[in-house]
Amino acid sequence: MISDRVKQSLKREFSRSVMAKIGLVLVLVVLLTAIFAPFIAPHDPTQQGLEESNIPPAGVTYTTEEFQMVDGERQTVETETRGSLDHPFGTDALGRDLFSRVLFGARTSLLVGLGGTAVAVGTGVGVGLVAGYFGGRVDDGLMRFADIMLAFPALVLALALVGFFRGSDYQAIAIPDPFVRAGLVDGMPESFVFPLGLTVVVGIVNWVWFARISRGEALSIRQEEYVKAAKSLGASDWTILRQHVLPNSLTPIIVLATIQVAAIILLESSLSFLGFSGTTLSWGFDIAQGRDYLGTSWWIASIPGLAIVVTVVGINLLGDWLRDALDPGLEGEHGGGM
Amino acid sequence: MPSIPDSRANTEGGCEMIQKPLLRVRDLETRFFTEEGQVNAVEKLTLDIHDGEVFGIVGESGSGKSVTARSVLGLLESPGRVTGGELWYRDETFADTVRADHPDAVDGDYVDLESLPSNVRRTLRGTHFSMIFQDPMSSLNPSIPVGEQIAEAVEAQRRARANPRSVASRTQGYGLSQYLMSTVMGSRKYVKSESLERAVELLELVGIPDAPLRAKEYPHEYSGGMLQRAMIAQALAGEPKVLIADEPTTALDVTIQAQILDLLTELQEETGMTILLITHNLGVVARMCDRVGVMYAGEIVERGTLADVFDDPVHPYTQGLLGSIPDLEGIGARLQPIPGNVPSLLDHEMGGRCYFADRCPKAMEECLEHPPEFDVDGSSHHATRCYLAETTYSEARALDADYFGSAEPLEDAADEPVEPARSDGGNTEEDSR
Amino acid sequence: MSQYQFILRRLLQGILVIWGVVTLVFLLRYMTPGNPVDFVAPLDAGQETRDQVAADLGLDQPVYVQYFDYLFGLIQGDMGYSFIRSQPASSIIFARLPATIELALAATIVAIIFSIPLGVISATRRHEPADYAATSFSLVGISTPNFWLGIMLILLVSVGLGILPTSRRPIGFVPAMEMFIFQLEIQGIRTWIAHMILPAVTLGTYFTAMIVRLTRSGMLDELGKSYVLATRAKGVPETLVRYKHVLRNTMIPIITVLGLQLGTLIGGAVITEFVFNWPGLGTLIINAIDVRDWPIIQGSLIVIGVGFVIINIAVDALYAKLNPKVSYE
Ligand SMILES: Nc1ncnc2c1ncn2[C@@H]1O[C@H](COP(=O)(O)OP(=O)(O)OP(=O)(O)O)[C@@H](O)[C@H]1O
Ligand code: SF4
Ligand SMILES: [Mg+2]
Repeated sequence: MISDRVKQSLKREFSRSVMAKIGLVLVLVVLLTAIFAPFIAPHDPTQQGLEESNIPPAGVTYTTEEFQMVDGERQTVETETRGSLDHPFGTDALGRDLFSRVLFGARTSLLVGLGGTAVAVGTGVGVGLVAGYFGGRVDDGLMRFADIMLAFPALVLALALVGFFRGSDYQAIAIPDPFVRAGLVDGMPESFVFPLGLTVVVGIVNWVWFARISRGEALSIRQEEYVKAAKSLGASDWTILRQHVLPNSLTPIIVLATIQVAAIILLESSLSFLGFSGTTLSWGFDIAQGRDYLGTSWWIASIPGLAIVVTVVGINLLGDWLRDALDPGLEGEHGGGM
Repeated sequence: MPSIPDSRANTEGGCEMIQKPLLRVRDLETRFFTEEGQVNAVEKLTLDIHDGEVFGIVGESGSGKSVTARSVLGLLESPGRVTGGELWYRDETFADTVRADHPDAVDGDYVDLESLPSNVRRTLRGTHFSMIFQDPMSSLNPSIPVGEQIAEAVEAQRRARANPRSVASRTQGYGLSQYLMSTVMGSRKYVKSESLERAVELLELVGIPDAPLRAKEYPHEYSGGMLQRAMIAQALAGEPKVLIADEPTTALDVTIQAQILDLLTELQEETGMTILLITHNLGVVARMCDRVGVMYAGEIVERGTLADVFDDPVHPYTQGLLGSIPDLEGIGARLQPIPGNVPSLLDHEMGGRCYFADRCPKAMEECLEHPPEFDVDGSSHHATRCYLAETTYSEARALDADYFGSAEPLEDAADEPVEPARSDGGNTEEDSR
Repeated sequence: MSQYQFILRRLLQGILVIWGVVTLVFLLRYMTPGNPVDFVAPLDAGQETRDQVAADLGLDQPVYVQYFDYLFGLIQGDMGYSFIRSQPASSIIFARLPATIELALAATIVAIIFSIPLGVISATRRHEPADYAATSFSLVGISTPNFWLGIMLILLVSVGLGILPTSRRPIGFVPAMEMFIFQLEIQGIRTWIAHMILPAVTLGTYFTAMIVRLTRSGMLDELGKSYVLATRAKGVPETLVRYKHVLRNTMIPIITVLGLQLGTLIGGAVITEFVFNWPGLGTLIINAIDVRDWPIIQGSLIVIGVGFVIINIAVDALYAKLNPKVSYE
C-alpha cells in the first residue's frame, strides 16, 4: 500500500535529517527496553524492601540529618547514604529499584500509547470516512457529535470516563510475561498489568482528530474520477471505501497516528499521576509517589519524568520526519497530551 | 527568418549610444548552495542597459532569468547568494550620497551595488529599482487592501526622499517598537493618509475605474488583469528609474496581455524609465524591446539589438528559438521547443564545455572548451558566446551525434514535454525549482 | 451575510453544541456504574434511609424526568446540590472559576509573550544557532508532561533555591487589585504574582512550545510566497515585511488551531492545579471524580464545555475579521 514514491521521500528525508535519526534511535531504545525489560532489569520492579528505601542513584551521596535524644540531650546525627550500581537510579520510598521500574514502565507507556492510538484510529477513521463519503445528514450528524466531543478537554473527559471501569474486571488485566513463562528469566513478575480500561478511554477521547482528518480526505477522494468510475461500474459503497478511499487517506492518518502515540503517552502518564490508571507500574504513578519526597529524595520524581520526555521526544521526532517527508499538511491538527 | 518591423529597427540605429549605460553588469555570478550541490543559476553575466530603453531577456524555463532579476534587486535569500561580479549603477546623486561612507563602491557617477551593505541597498528598492511579477494573484498580500499595499510603496519612497542624505537604515527604518506602537496609535501608522491618496491616483493612472472604491478592496476581489495593473501602480509608486518586469503577462489572457503591454509602453513614454523585460514570449520581445539578451544555463549566450538577434542570430540556440515562428508580431509567438533539456545548472555537472553543446546541432571539437563572448557583425552591441562567431561550421570537426551519451536528447524529448512548451501555461517560479 | 448574522448563527450552533454537551454529560452519569446512594448514605443505613436519600437526591424519578428537571434547572442556573457538601453545585463551581481563569489567562499570556518572538527568530534565522535553540526548546516543550514540569520547578525553584511559594493561592486577582486600589496596598498583588509564576510557567510551557512550532513552520511557508518578494522589492522596511505582512498572515490559520487546542489548555490547567494545590475548577473536578460527586462533575464539565464553545465563536469571528477571504458564510 506504500508506494515507491512515498518510500523514496521517506528515505530522502531520513538521510538528510539528523533529527529523524535521533528519533528513530530513541524510539528503538525505548521499544527494546519495553520488550526485554525482564532481561535488563536488575531487580523485580515490585519487590519492596524497607531497609533499602530512598537510596540515591549511583554515584550520588545523600546526607540526612536527624535529631536524636542522646542522654537527654538533643543531638544532630548525620546519616550518609551513597548510591551504588546495585540500584543505578536509586530506590523509592518503599525500597523498590527505580531503574527496574523505569524499564517496566516503558511497557505500560508504549502499550497504552499504541493500544489507545489503535482505538482512536479504529473509531475515528471509521466515523470520518463514513461521514465524508456519504456526506449529507450522516456527515452533519457525525460532525456535530465530533464538535460536542471537542468541547471536552481530553484529560477531563478521560477522568470522567475512567469511572466506567473503576472496580470492574476490565480496569486492568494481567498479561502473563512470555519470557518468565518460558523460564528464560526468573525473579521477575509473573505477569504484567495492562490497564485495559485506561487504554480504551484514552483512545475514545482522541478519536475526533482522526475523524476530522479522514473525513476531509474522504470528501476530496469522493470527487476523484476513479471513484466515480468505480461507482458507475457498480462497486458497492463499502468496497469503494475499503479499496479506494481508505488507502488514499492513509498518509495523513499515519502521520497523525504517530503524533497521537506521543499525546496518548502524555495523557496516560497524567492519569497515572492522578492515580486513575489502574496500574501501579507506570512512570506517571512513580512521579506521584516521588512528589511526597521532593525535599528528601529528589530522584524518585525526576527520573521517571525524564523517561517520559525521552520517549515522547523520540516519537515526536519520528512524527516530524513522517510529516516532512509526506507533507500531509496537518500542522497543529492533533490533540494535545494534557 | 522573420523580419523585424521597420519602425523599431530604425530607432535602434539612431540609438547607437555614445551615452554611458545606466546599468553595467559585469561577470555577475549567482549561486544556490543546495543539498544536491551548488547551482550556478547565473554565470558570468555581462550586460549594459541604457537609459530609457526596454531590454528584453528571453530564455527557456530554468535558464536563470528570474534569478538575474532578483540579483539585480539584491533580493536573494539563503541558500542563494551573489558570489562574484559587479553591478554598476549610474546615478549622480546616489553616488554623492554613498561616497563618504563607501568610497570603494563609487567610481565617478557609478556605484557598485554589490559592494554596498544590504541596508543601503534596500533604500534603492522602490525608489530606483522596482519589480513586477508573473502572477499578480500571489504577488500581493491577500489580507491587506490593494490600496494600502500601494500606499506602502508610496510611503517607502516618501520616507527615502525626505532624507536623501543619510542612506543608512535609519532613514527608512521602521523598528519593531514603532510597529507595535502603530497598532495602538493610528497616528503612528507606517502608511500616512497622503500616501493612501497617492495610491488612489496611481490606481487611476493605470486605468482602474472607481479607484477610490477599489483601493479598499482585497486582491481576491480583483480580476487578474486588474491586479496586474495594480501591481504596476505599486511598482511605479516610488518613481523608479528601472522597472524589472518578470514575465508580466504570462499569467494573463491574450487580450489582457496586450492591454498590459500597451500600458507599460505608455507609462514608459511618460516617465522615461528603463525597463528590463523578462519573457518567454518572442512576440512580446519584438513588440516591446530595443535590445535583447538570450539566456541559456545562466549565461547570456547572445545579445544585441532586436535586429541583430532576430535577423542575424549566430548562436545555434538563438536560431533554434526563433525556429519557424510564422509571425513575430503576433503575441502568441512562443519559444520554439528545442530537443533536449535545460541543464541542471549543478556545478559538478556543468563541465568545462559549451553548455549548449549537448543539444547543439553544430557542436564541434572546439566547443568542448567553454566559449568566451565574441563580438559579432551588426550593431556594436551584438555579441555571442559561440565559436560560430569566429569560425564556420565544418563537418570534419563535428562531434559524434552520440558524443554526450547515446541519443540522450531525443529520448528525453520524447519522454516529457520540452521545457518551453510547458512554460506556456502559468509556469511559476516554484515549478522551476 | 453580515458580520452580526454570522456571529448570531455561530451562537445558535454553539447553543446546540452546548445542549449536546449537557446531554452527553447526563448520559455519562447514568451509564457510569456505581450508585451515588452508596456514597451519600451512611454505611450501615437500612433500606428505608437509602430510599430516603435517593428521594432527596431526586434519584427515584424516571431518568427522562430527571433529565428534563436537570435541563430546566440548568436554564435557571441550578445545577443541583453537591452530594458531599450540602451546597448548590453552581455556587461551589463558580467560586472556583476565577482561580482557573486567572491561571489559564496567565499561561496564555506567558505563551504568547515568549512563543511568537521565538517562532519569528526561528523562522527568520533558519539553520542558525538561535533556530536550533528554539526548535530544541519547543520539541522538549511539547514532549514534557506538565505535571512533571511543575514538580521539577517546585524541586528546583522552591525546594532548591527557596524562592517562590509552591502551593495554594492565598489571594485572588480581584481582591488583590481591590486591596491595591482602595488601600494602596501592593502586598496583595505581590503575593498574587509570586504564587502565579510557577503554575503559569508550568501550564504555559507546552503552549509556548506548540506555538513556536506552528509559527516557525507557518512563517517559513509564508516567507516563500511571492508577495514577500514583491513587498521587499517595493522598499518596505524588513520589520514591516516580517510583522505586518508575514507574521500576520501566519497567525491567521494558527488562531483557529489555538481555538481547537483550548481543550488542551483546560486539561493542562486541571493537572497543573492539582500539582500546585490551586483552588480552581481542576482540583474540584479531580476530587469530585474521586468521590463521585456527580452534580459537581456534571456542572464543571458543562461550564468547561460552554467556555470552549464561547471562545471558539470568538476565535471564528476573529478569524473572519483577519482573513478577508472569509465572507462570513
Ligand atoms: N531558491 C532556490 N533554491 C535553489 N535553486 C534555485 C532557487 N531559485 C532558483 N533556483 C535555481 O535557479 C535556476 C534558475 O531559476 P529561474 O527561476 O531564474 O529560472 P527562470 O529562467 O526564471 O525560469 P522561468 O521561466 O520558469 O521563470 C533554476 O534552475 C533553479 O534550479
Ligand atoms: S559553441 Fe559550439 S556547441 Fe556551443 S553553441 Fe556554439 S557551436 Fe554549439
Ligand atoms: Mg522566472
